[in-house]
Amino acid sequence: MILLALVGLALGVIVGWNLPLRIPALHARYLSIAILAGLDSVFGGMRAELEGRFEGVVFSTGFFSNMLLAAGLTYVGDKIGVELYLAAVVALGVRIFQNVGAARHALLVRFWKKR
Amino acid sequence: MRSRSGQVMLVLVFAILGLMLTTQFRNQQRLSGAISYRRAEELAALLKAAEAERDLLRHELSSMRLHLAQVTASESAALDALNRELERLRLLAGVSAVRGPGVTVIMDDSTRPRSRQEDPNVYLIHDDDLLKVVNELRAAGAEAIAINGQRLTSVSEIRCAGPTISINGTRVAPPIVITAIGDPQTLESSLKMRGGVVDQLSLWGIEVKVKRETDLLLPAYDRALNWMHARPAEEGGRP
Repeated sequence: MILLALVGLALGVIVGWNLPLRIPALHARYLSIAILAGLDSVFGGMRAELEGRFEGVVFSTGFFSNMLLAAGLTYVGDKIGVELYLAAVVALGVRIFQNVGAARHALLVRFWKKR
Repeated sequence: MRSRSGQVMLVLVFAILGLMLTTQFRNQQRLSGAISYRRAEELAALLKAAEAERDLLRHELSSMRLHLAQVTASESAALDALNRELERLRLLAGVSAVRGPGVTVIMDDSTRPRSRQEDPNVYLIHDDDLLKVVNELRAAGAEAIAINGQRLTSVSEIRCAGPTISINGTRVAPPIVITAIGDPQTLESSLKMRGGVVDQLSLWGIEVKVKRETDLLLPAYDRALNWMHARPAEEGGRP
């Protein structure tokens, strides 16, 4: 499974590096927020996998819907003059830390059990 | 998750993440490289060099003028009439220092406390405020005007230059000191008349102080007079 993830990541990086996609500076923020949401989903999936309750459908739908929600929130915030993207950044950042912490915890528990 | 479609989904999700990451990474690189710090520094160095050269040339010009003055002074009395005419014209052109009675006008930005909703721009001295004062002084018969040591000539500009004002290509910032030679009484009252320029400016809290002087010394225009397009036409020549 980790192997699959790495293959996918490498594929994306190679394509992205060779595809000269230019995002105007105005829209770069949406992409960065979407990336943050995607990272959050990935770390959440990692944690779920380590805790033994990973669901492929939940993971992939969460990935896309979080991304769209974060970018959409930023867009709406821009339109109404409220910096809503801050909410997305804070919420996602906190969750990334929580997920990584839980994943580490699960990994350590598994390691100790093995011994 | 052991199903085949689940695995494809996983690869796809990570591929998209990787794609977005690299795209954003490359864009960020491009954006930060667009106006690099080094370029700005380079330009600042160029500007500094150009300014140093300008100062050098200005110095050279003033020494040449001195030399010219010595030569003209040493010529025989046969040239006296010509010299007198030259003196008058130099006075008009502003290329010689002049002295005489007049007024000093000191202008400074408003110190009045203002609320946040108000545009701070209206409390600052702008090029058009200066133009109004200079215009009024000229209308009142000022014969020579200098702003912060920059003598106004027929080719001088008073122009907005970012946070400063450009006069004779030199940046000038508040406090602004305008010295004008003319009849002190007339000059002062022209500025201070009701509804006049001082009244208007004080509306915004811009401080304008007018002081009568008995003896003012105005510097000469210290730039070379180069005529690239205009040349003298014959007397009585039709346009």
